[in-house]
Amino acid sequence: MSEFRPILRPVLGTKQTVSSATLKLSPLPEGTIIHVLARPGEEDIVPFLGSLAKAAQHAVRPVSPGHWFIVGEEPMPHQEVKSLFAALEPRATGVDQSHGRVRIRIEGKMASRALSKGTGLDLDPSAFPVGQSAVTLIGHIAAHITRVGSEAFEIIVLRGFAETLWDDLARMSLEFC
Amino acid sequence: MSSYRLPKRGLVDHNAPLSFTFDDRSMQGLEGDTLASALLANGQMLVGRSFKYHRPRGILTAGAAEPNALVTVGRRGRTEPNTRATVQELYEGLEAQSQNRWPSLNFDVGALNGLMSPFLGAGFYYKTFMWPAPLWEKLYEPFIRRAAGLGKASYEADPDAYEKSWAHCDLLVIGGGPTGLAAALTAGRAGARVILVDEGSLPGGSLLFDTATIDGRAAADFARDTSAELQSMANVRVMTRTTAFGWYDGNVFGAVERVQKHVRDPASHLPVERLWRIVARQALLATGAEERPLVFGGNDRPGVMMASAMRTYLNRYGVAPGKATAIFTTNDSGYGLARDLEAAGVDVVAIIDSRPAAGVEYRGKARLIREAVVCGTKGRKAISAIEVHRDGRTETIAVDALAMAGGFSPIVHLACHRGGKPIWSAEKAAFLAPEGLKGLGLAGAAAATTELAACLGEGAAQAKAIVKELGLSCPPVALPKVEGDEGIDSSKPLWSIPGVKGKAFVDFQNDVHLKDIGLAVREGYSHVELAKRYTTSGMATDQGKLSNVNAIGLIAKARGVSPAEVGTTTFRPFYTPVSFGALTGPHTGHHFQPVRKSPLHDWAKKHGAVFVETGLWYRSSWFPRSGERTWRESVDREVLNVRKNAGLCDVSMLGKIEISGSDAAEFLNRVYCNAFLKLAVGKARYGLMLREDGMIYDDGTTSRLEENRFFMTTTTAYAAGVMNHLEFCAQALWPELDVRLASITDQWAQMAIAGPKARIILQKIVDEDISDAAFPFLAAKEVSLFGGALHGYLFRISFSGELAYELAVPAGYGESVADALMEAGTAHGVMPYGLETLGVLRIEKGHVTHNEINGTVVPADLGFGKMVSATKPDFIGKAMLQREGLAAPDRPQLVGVVPLDPRQSFRTGSHILAKGAAATLENDEGYVTSSAYSPHIGSTIALALVKHGPSRHGEEVVVWSGLHGESTAARLCNPVFFDPQNERLHV
Amino acid sequence: MASLVPCPNCGRRPKEEFTIKGAALSRPAPGADAADWFNYVYLRDNPRGTYEEYWHHTSGCRRWLVLTRHTLTHEVAACRDAADGSQLEGGA
Repeated sequence: MSEFRPILRPVLGTKQTVSSATLKLSPLPEGTIIHVLARPGEEDIVPFLGSLAKAAQHAVRPVSPGHWFIVGEEPMPHQEVKSLFAALEPRATGVDQSHGRVRIRIEGKMASRALSKGTGLDLDPSAFPVGQSAVTLIGHIAAHITRVGSEAFEIIVLRGFAETLWDDLARMSLEFC
Repeated sequence: MSSYRLPKRGLVDHNAPLSFTFDDRSMQGLEGDTLASALLANGQMLVGRSFKYHRPRGILTAGAAEPNALVTVGRRGRTEPNTRATVQELYEGLEAQSQNRWPSLNFDVGALNGLMSPFLGAGFYYKTFMWPAPLWEKLYEPFIRRAAGLGKASYEADPDAYEKSWAHCDLLVIGGGPTGLAAALTAGRAGARVILVDEGSLPGGSLLFDTATIDGRAAADFARDTSAELQSMANVRVMTRTTAFGWYDGNVFGAVERVQKHVRDPASHLPVERLWRIVARQALLATGAEERPLVFGGNDRPGVMMASAMRTYLNRYGVAPGKATAIFTTNDSGYGLARDLEAAGVDVVAIIDSRPAAGVEYRGKARLIREAVVCGTKGRKAISAIEVHRDGRTETIAVDALAMAGGFSPIVHLACHRGGKPIWSAEKAAFLAPEGLKGLGLAGAAAATTELAACLGEGAAQAKAIVKELGLSCPPVALPKVEGDEGIDSSKPLWSIPGVKGKAFVDFQNDVHLKDIGLAVREGYSHVELAKRYTTSGMATDQGKLSNVNAIGLIAKARGVSPAEVGTTTFRPFYTPVSFGALTGPHTGHHFQPVRKSPLHDWAKKHGAVFVETGLWYRSSWFPRSGERTWRESVDREVLNVRKNAGLCDVSMLGKIEISGSDAAEFLNRVYCNAFLKLAVGKARYGLMLREDGMIYDDGTTSRLEENRFFMTTTTAYAAGVMNHLEFCAQALWPELDVRLASITDQWAQMAIAGPKARIILQKIVDEDISDAAFPFLAAKEVSLFGGALHGYLFRISFSGELAYELAVPAGYGESVADALMEAGTAHGVMPYGLETLGVLRIEKGHVTHNEINGTVVPADLGFGKMVSATKPDFIGKAMLQREGLAAPDRPQLVGVVPLDPRQSFRTGSHILAKGAAATLENDEGYVTSSAYSPHIGSTIALALVKHGPSRHGEEVVVWSGLHGESTAARLCNPVFFDPQNERLHV
Repeated sequence: MASLVPCPNCGRRPKEEFTIKGAALSRPAPGADAADWFNYVYLRDNPRGTYEEYWHHTSGCRRWLVLTRHTLTHEVAACRDAADGSQLEGGA
């Protein structure tokens, strides 16, 4: 079946963007998420990861001690993933999570108020500035949150929970839409 | 409008009438009213019946402490029983019903309990319902249950939404009275992140009924202006209709916001209530003080009211309490009320002051009776007269309202929620908050400060100190000038009143009266915790807000000690009742727990899968086809088809963990009881993980994809637990190992392709050669699909005992790949199969799951004894597995069971008895762990854990289920029912 | 209702994000006496006072932590990453 072309089915493919003057909730394209696990004792690996990631297309997001996500809007071809993994060694291991995690964007004046209905994280810019990431519970679901703009957040969640989290976020946003 | 409403008075809108009903009677109130103020304006003195004696009760307070005026608001799913009329805001169309009366509020049969009262005293339940014991279930308990409780909850679902939210601040100010407003303003102007919560609809607290002026403005105007300034600040959040109900660890405060409890038709985009968890660096309790009732006879009669409540109704709501009022006071606050009443044109007949002299000069028209007390009241459903006791003589004075001013108790509840106990201050004659609290301070009346100017100053000063501690500079705040504040002296409390006539209530809501307290002390229950339980004082929904301090004072007096020695009972959240709706938040119905969906969910759905919830997952159970009448027919077909042709099953929900790092193999060697160091690259191995106590924890296959990269699968049920366990081993036990763990469960759509045709079908989409020679049993490799269009992992492993593979592809392509396999397999008879078929296939092969791995089995119990490595120096569970008892010959061990008569069957969970043995615990030989109908065997087949099981194959036994009254003759056998030589695997 | 756990990696987080394992004890050496293993697996102190426990920040950084908690007041005196090499108080 070499003529068969598998079709990608984005898990939030049927979800409509929720939008108002003060809040916008949108699914992001299922592009690239590479989970980087550093060798124990590795320090200052971030510049190294930055040098491997493509500046224009990729962002490096801290996850937890020794763990990062390299994220991008476009899917990374199989060979490129393999080369990236090879380049990471021996300082770090790469694990492809491009399908295992789904990204959602929530932005607007009321975005942090809506998110606070789910997370105990203090999202005030003084406590959670642009570029900061954290893994936290949103309601009953664990998710990775990054402040990507003064009023914009990107959420990364396990694929299996993405639909429920989307529905939860939409309900949390209802007040502002 | 009724004659009790005073025109042009108060903060209500006299031009905005609202209609409502009370016990189906139409009434009118005003915008800004509470239900209580509207009822009073309508002359409705009688609003409920008491709990035990069904006495007529009216409105006692104007706030959260109300014990009497509990009504049911709303109807059907929105029914809310035990709503305090004193805090319920009035809205157009509000429907309220009185409670605890039958057949009606005016004529109540239960009032006969009043005649029975000599038998219903303290400890009544304990004494009366002692014996005979058999009567408990049939007579006593139903009686108590019927008598207990106040309102009735609805059986209909609540149609409204509830939600939860977090908030964070530098300073949380609880209470928006003068103290709280001053504090919030000071901290807000300094730039601190401030949250001010207030339970009322308007911030202001006592300012809303105070007649003093602040900087030349009316107190209520000052409150309005200050609150407007606070609301204009970006760093300040003012939350009205919000009650802070608890103080928790980490300086987190619980609060409930009544977002839409003051409207008839709640908007659907908003919740009706919102539960807040407020994380505060510092908090200031500016909750004010509660006025104490006075314990005289008939102090519960409708028309008797707290003095501060009367003043609130008069000044804030423009409602006269009556036509001829009296004031019974033990301190100066009563005179402020007298002045306000007279200014509003309400007659004050008498002021009864327990003291020889007052601290203020009274120039009004009322008769002033000093060194006197009210000892009793008269009237049927409302007060008609008071009995005044002075110098041993009693005089009757006709009144239609009576105010009680018994002094004030600071509201310190929240300060005591984390274990601290209030401390009695003899100087202030009040219980104060414990000292040395971290993260929480008190100011104003909550700290027993009484003068308005002092409260404002204290709020500002405390906020200033907190702001400084946060490192912010505080601009100087000029203290406002207060005029016309009469203040309240802290008089000595008057616990007991001479010459009491009739029942003098201490706890109104639970009908505990003076004599009950005396009885409790006489009968030895004088410890405050015992007295509480013996009398039930303080145990009602108001948690004794009005009664506790009086009860303590009376116990102290009876014991001849100070209230300090009696102490208080324990304060616990919640300060006021919080609805289950708010506590549950959005997590109801379908949102009770998250749904975890397989990437093949939609694929299964379009093939007609019947889903079953397993944990958070929805798994396909079976795939019915037209013409099949029972699930068994579908499952039998699927089972037979897998063994004849091929089946496709979604196994994406198996836990998948990628393990890498230079010590990955060593790590696996330590977490599995069998050997993993020498597993070859490209190979999979079945592994058993033990707990440290030697019992099996989980099983699964782990494949070595590269030298230092492994792909582990776990069972679905234990996926999260195994990941946590591995992380524990890696981080806490062996941090010196270089091992890196990543959960990849969601990355891969994984499907099992099982059956003799599996290879032919799979080869159509896999680019590499997967013949038995090239890809033998237990091979595990990355493969390319569709001519390199996609890459995945292929594992030749089999749970069904057939030629089988598991294929993992990136989740987003899962459905497409499954479609391709179905298409490729059409000519070969491929069918989807579900969890039920998976179960039948594995039982036929004697493969175990968590039905067998139930926390009580060691490897040898399941026939895995030889897998356990004898040479490894260490693995989890190794040491404890050596225990003698775990090798005992009579341990229940895995065995097969079949009914002697194939038409009979038995259930999982049934017990195994030797043939002819009685069904006793001593004769229990073991139990059935899994059972299913096998279309290949033609009968029920089962796995069981049975003593000496492996050596008893062929023995006839009885399978017995006492629960179902079933007893089935059966035979123990080899647990592998199908292809015992595994010939079908290696083809 | 609520309480916060001071995760050394993530800051103060709601307790719902954590999983508690129980007493933080040193695992005995593989060849240790049966008695040592028995103590490690089954025996626990039940102090009124400070107690070292393993907590897992399951819905956060997924690190195992050693948390020193007062069993009466719930006050958390210290919280460190379990891999930081410090000795545990409870030995076996």
